[in-house]
Amino acid sequence: MINIFNHFGNQLLDGFGWTLLASFLALVFSLLFGILLALLEVVPAKFANQVGRTYVEIFRNIPLLIIVMFFYLIVPKYFVQLDGFSAGTIGLFLYTSAFIAEIIRSGIQAVSNGQMEGARSTGMTYQQALQHIILPQALKIVIPPLGNQFVSLIKDSSILAFVAGFDLMYQANAIASVTFDTINSYLVIGVLYLLITMPLSYYMQYLEKRLA
Amino acid sequence: MKKLVYAMAMLFGLSLLSGCGKSISDQSVLKNIRQSKTITWAVEGDKKLFSLIDIRDDHEKGFDIDMAKAITKEILGPKGQAQFTLATAQSRIPLLKNGNVDAVIATLTITPERAKIISFSKSYFQAGKSLLVPKGSPVKKVSDLNGKTVIGIVGDNSVEIIKKVAPRAKVVAMQDYGQAVSALKSHQGDALTSDNGILYGIAAQNPEELEVTGGTFTKEPYGIAVNLNQAPFHRAINRAIDKLHRNGEYNRLIKKWFGQVPGFNYKEMYYK
Amino acid sequence: MSMVEFHDVQKYYGKFHALHDINLKIDKGETVVLIGPSGSGKSTLIRTINRLESIQGGKLIVNNQDLSNPKTDSNRLRQDVGMVFQHFNLYKNKNVLENIMLAPRIVSHLPEEENKKQALDLLKMVGLEDKAQNMPAQISGGQKQRVAIARSLAMRPKLLLFDEPTSALDPEMIDDVLQVIKKVTSASEMTSLIVTHEMGFAKEVANRVIFMDEGQIVEDDESALFYKKPQTMRAQQFLSKIISH
Ligand SMILES: Nc1ncnc2c1ncn2[C@@H]1O[C@H](COP(=O)(O)OP(=O)(O)OP(=O)(O)O)[C@@H](O)[C@H]1O
Ligand SMILES: [Mg+2]
Repeated sequence: MINIFNHFGNQLLDGFGWTLLASFLALVFSLLFGILLALLEVVPAKFANQVGRTYVEIFRNIPLLIIVMFFYLIVPKYFVQLDGFSAGTIGLFLYTSAFIAEIIRSGIQAVSNGQMEGARSTGMTYQQALQHIILPQALKIVIPPLGNQFVSLIKDSSILAFVAGFDLMYQANAIASVTFDTINSYLVIGVLYLLITMPLSYYMQYLEKRLA
Repeated sequence: MKKLVYAMAMLFGLSLLSGCGKSISDQSVLKNIRQSKTITWAVEGDKKLFSLIDIRDDHEKGFDIDMAKAITKEILGPKGQAQFTLATAQSRIPLLKNGNVDAVIATLTITPERAKIISFSKSYFQAGKSLLVPKGSPVKKVSDLNGKTVIGIVGDNSVEIIKKVAPRAKVVAMQDYGQAVSALKSHQGDALTSDNGILYGIAAQNPEELEVTGGTFTKEPYGIAVNLNQAPFHRAINRAIDKLHRNGEYNRLIKKWFGQVPGFNYKEMYYK
Repeated sequence: MSMVEFHDVQKYYGKFHALHDINLKIDKGETVVLIGPSGSGKSTLIRTINRLESIQGGKLIVNNQDLSNPKTDSNRLRQDVGMVFQHFNLYKNKNVLENIMLAPRIVSHLPEEENKKQALDLLKMVGLEDKAQNMPAQISGGQKQRVAIARSLAMRPKLLLFDEPTSALDPEMIDDVLQVIKKVTSASEMTSLIVTHEMGFAKEVANRVIFMDEGQIVEDDESALFYKKPQTMRAQQFLSKIISH
């Protein structure tokens, strides 16, 4: 393992950087988009509910690889040029958004209806009630499942390897194919994935404690 | 933090273990196959002309497959059975080293690095790297690739070679040939590089869209791989190849598989 | 001058006819108690007044605004109509003081200092000035309900709606809450509608008692009269049941 790190340090570092970047971008965008979708699903407007619901059901129920392949193979052919990294990151972000939307929607709905009625009965608008009362309470509920989803996202970023996105998995494939030391090549990146996922897990646990 | 250390320690433990399981390759393969009357070959499933799964009957078909069958019969006699295990460019060597297969015949180029960890038979096919491009592409030869994106296959040595012959080309490695061809058609790269024989196979499947260009720019002798320290089996394979060369069976197979490929001078491949 | 007017109001939950031909007038400054068996439509009726429930027929005027007109602004209406719930509905993520100060700050834009002074005064009025910094989870049910009353008063409503404000409380806490409600409703300009089964309390504070059954108003009497002898058989039966408890 040490050997692999000594010989392919640059390549691994490169992969680490791309994995980190893809994960970071996908995380930020899927969180924002996921919140938007969740709101679409809960606001008192039938059409918006339908739009949010449809998106979530479609993207949650298709394998990630197919979504990524769509952006890697179909979109460049007919619409705009996307390299493997972009296609992978976009696919990952759209896919994860659906799961985050589900988590946030159920978090919002887990806040009792009385909280909304209490707020509305003082004259607050729906948005004000969401912002000041419902979402802060939902946040507490969604932190643990959101943490799980973020960790999944980082691991799912290995999908980039399939579209030559230069991430850790891509580098491990390449290293394994020249060293034929398959096991150690993957063990090395396993440790590197841990270096990203463990601090994130700890941070989410810390947030959970602090908000409780 | 304690948990992190613990997890790392477990991984290290695993990696040590993985260094110990070498015993399978110490047994004599030749003895085993004579007993079971079967040779298990690692082959690929996605290379027209060499080894492609025919979806109509689920059997692999191609030059590599016929060679494996012929060599099996030479070593084990007419009752000998050739069994095939599907591999990718990436898994063909690990399968051999783990003892899952007896030998690999999978468009595997003989290289000094590979020869350190596996043992190659004499070459049974003289291939060379070439380029596959969309028809009408400005890429005509390998030096045109500088500043362009070249698609290769993970585990294929073309990636390293391109870095040498066109240092300013960007190389993206795909998981298998199906994906690589799709990527080429989706303009994810300007050319796909691999061994000419394989590329001709792909061009033959996509005659409207793709063509092979620029001749060969390396020599890629294919060899059959067996594990190190299997000298008797290794010798038996070499003797079998010699025999096929001399009795005309080899040339017959070359003609059968490459005789119809447009743009490919199959007679150059003949054993003379 | 009336604060609330129901004219032949109908309310449906899907096919279920929850309010039948409701006709009711509540004058400014009046305190009205609403009683009736479970499921008779008391909550439904009271919630139509601040539009937590919509109506499907008839005309409903509250504080001179026509609730049968879809253009009427619910948020504006609710600033003048406070509501106290059976289960308090205090904001779980805000402390007691913030529960009271939030709506005046973001809805009526009361200056912060004035808002804080008002909140502390209200807390004093309900006897909880020492709980200002507590979270709702850290105070008792009776205290929660007093905070909820203070919260609804902070918007300076003209009409207060109480939906069984003491039914979720332990008996020893009920009196404290009733005392506060009495104080609040006795202010001459305050109009209130209270759903409660505390008949002693009703007799003391209410100008009128309304009896509902199966989505209809069955009786509407002066409080003393109703207490002496209800007009209808159903009301008599109901009254004897809750008094023998
Ligand atoms: N959201 C709703 N959807 C459907 N039916 C409802 C809904 N809310 C109330 N109902 C029905 O309307 C009728 C009146 O309910 P309401 O809550 O107004 O009764 P209530 O007099 O307040 O009873 P309680 O004393 O138990 O609180 C009941 O039959 C109830 O089941
Ligand atoms: Mg009720």
